Amino acid sequence: MSTIESVRESYRDFDDQTYAPFVKGVALFGFLAALPYIIEIDVAGMELAATLSLKVLILTVIYAYTAQAWNIMSGYTGQFSFGHAAFFGIGAYATQKLLADLALNPWVGMLVAGVIAAGYGLIIGFLTFRFKLKGHYFALATLAFAELLRFVVVNMSELQGANGYFKPFPRDYGAEYGLLAFQFQSDLPYYYLILGFLLVVTLISWLIKNSWIGLYFFAIREDESAAASVGVPAFRYKMLGVAVSAFFTALGGAYWSMYFNTIRPDTVFALFKNVELLLPAVVGGPGTLIGPIVGSFIVTPVSEVARTTFTNINGLDRIIYGAFLVAIVIYSPRGVVSWPSRARALWNRVRSTDSNEEVNN
Amino acid sequence: MPQIDISVVTFPLQGGGLDRFTDPLVQFLTDIANLDAVLLQLLAFGLLLGGVYALTALGLTMIFGVMDVINFAHGVFLVVGMYTVWLVSESLGISPFVGIPIAAVVLFVLGVVVHVLTVEPILEAPQQNQLIATLGVLLIIQSAIEIVFTPDPQQVQLSLGSLQVGGVFIPLGQLYALIIALGTMLAVRAFLNSTDLGRRIRGTADNRDGARYVGINVKRINYLTFGIGAALAGVAGASIALFQRFDPFTGETYLINAFVIVILGGLGSFPGAFVGGLIVGMIQVFGGYYLPGTTAQVLIFLLFIGTLLVKPEGLFGGADA
Repeated sequence: MSTIESVRESYRDFDDQTYAPFVKGVALFGFLAALPYIIEIDVAGMELAATLSLKVLILTVIYAYTAQAWNIMSGYTGQFSFGHAAFFGIGAYATQKLLADLALNPWVGMLVAGVIAAGYGLIIGFLTFRFKLKGHYFALATLAFAELLRFVVVNMSELQGANGYFKPFPRDYGAEYGLLAFQFQSDLPYYYLILGFLLVVTLISWLIKNSWIGLYFFAIREDESAAASVGVPAFRYKMLGVAVSAFFTALGGAYWSMYFNTIRPDTVFALFKNVELLLPAVVGGPGTLIGPIVGSFIVTPVSEVARTTFTNINGLDRIIYGAFLVAIVIYSPRGVVSWPSRARALWNRVRSTDSNEEVNN
Repeated sequence: MPQIDISVVTFPLQGGGLDRFTDPLVQFLTDIANLDAVLLQLLAFGLLLGGVYALTALGLTMIFGVMDVINFAHGVFLVVGMYTVWLVSESLGISPFVGIPIAAVVLFVLGVVVHVLTVEPILEAPQQNQLIATLGVLLIIQSAIEIVFTPDPQQVQLSLGSLQVGGVFIPLGQLYALIIALGTMLAVRAFLNSTDLGRRIRGTADNRDGARYVGINVKRINYLTFGIGAALAGVAGASIALFQRFDPFTGETYLINAFVIVILGGLGSFPGAFVGGLIVGMIQVFGGYYLPGTTAQVLIFLLFIGTLLVKPEGLFGGADA
């Protein structure tokens, strides 16, 4: 007991230090960077990599990244967006369109895509915030803006309609395979690239959270009219939240289009993509920095492993995934990050009933 | 640097790109000017489709109005209704019309089960959790249907023929579906307005806390509403199955359009669901005729967004439940 207490005490001391977030970040990302090698370690003749492949890891980090980007808008300012597939799809399509038609380097195309997505986000924000759409109405409006794009793209022959794009080879845009071309011939560099993306968005997220911007965001989330009454420019800061979130989500879409060779409206703009993009944040704990990352490491492997394990019965994996979704929101409505404190509360309750019994005896 | 072939570079909406919007409009206006017979035919089809849309939206709007829950599983409830009718008529060899009340009962039970297992525990939780939970239910039911009945499209064997009224062609399957939809809606309206239970449901929709204070068992009202909402989806799906092929994924379009109708007509509004259903049905039929591909769906979303912005409470917002 006392050892647990002292460990917790020293952790609290460490937590108070200014360098604590830095140490935690290095530890977390160091672990993530080592993960591709960890999964190849033999444990009692079984390789973790057999089920948890590098591809699954990449997907996991992609969704951690998108959830982190979603979190900036929806977790921090409390404006629950259900249409982030719009930004994701814009990112994928703008990058590929510029690549295919203008042979523009994907890094440049990605930034252009990010700006377009931020613009679309500002349009959505301008319309919905000005009319003070709340709750379900806001969620449905964002969903409509995303679904709108899906049907627009399907019907536009200029964007290859329902067929989508195949990624051109690097030589088609005057580059060799490598970092500059945003294309690699193996999966490992792709993993470190998306990990870098995640690091950047997490850093930005941390900076926002620890500045006056984050303070304003949280004030808006808790009580918008109260925040406005003490001088928080709510509209402007909500717009900022959407733009930043849309920009980074689009970069995720651009990465997606470069990693998977082909994009189609019913993959990047899919109705269910809206859920996949935000789910890790909700599972992990919306509004927290670590939540989206932890959440993705819970949700994505379950979905992917189920998909590869139950290939003989088409659809069984989705039943498992659906049941998992229902279970997680019922039993953990505040996210996985609340588990330690919940466990502690449970432990304290158990202990207090014990001591009560002692007193009674 | 690679050569860039300028002729290959195409910009949207340039070099004839606008034609695809102006041509249908010109065509439409010419038809109106000539009082073309096709307009009457399209109106008839729009009315027939709008009726089943309205019934679909009615179940959704009831759940939305009473519990403030967006039920994403509503579309798949429709699909369960379709498969129920199909199964009854295929395996028992009886008329698909008998399958419709069976579908209502099946869906009522399913709705109550879904409500008790997934919605009730998180009614007070943040709304995104309800959304994700009902999406989970959607995945479970949809995939279960896919596994049991294969993803191939199915069709109810029924040759009803059609009517010819003054040059307008009316498929009887769709006409019966419309009549069933209208009858069901009237019955629900009578139930809500003139029975004690119906009044309690409306009271709960108006003010949950108030309903609790005057001794209404809100918990019971919740699962009844969810059951009735699901049963309405079942009847809607069953009547759609009378005239349309379907597969496990048919529900998605109906779900999205039902959202549009609910917002358009006004949350929990009865006449709103009806008028909204007609509007969306008309857009789909007229748009499908004049516009290329699925562009009509773009119009529906624009209408949806427009309504949310201009009048988020909907056309009949604040009317009775």
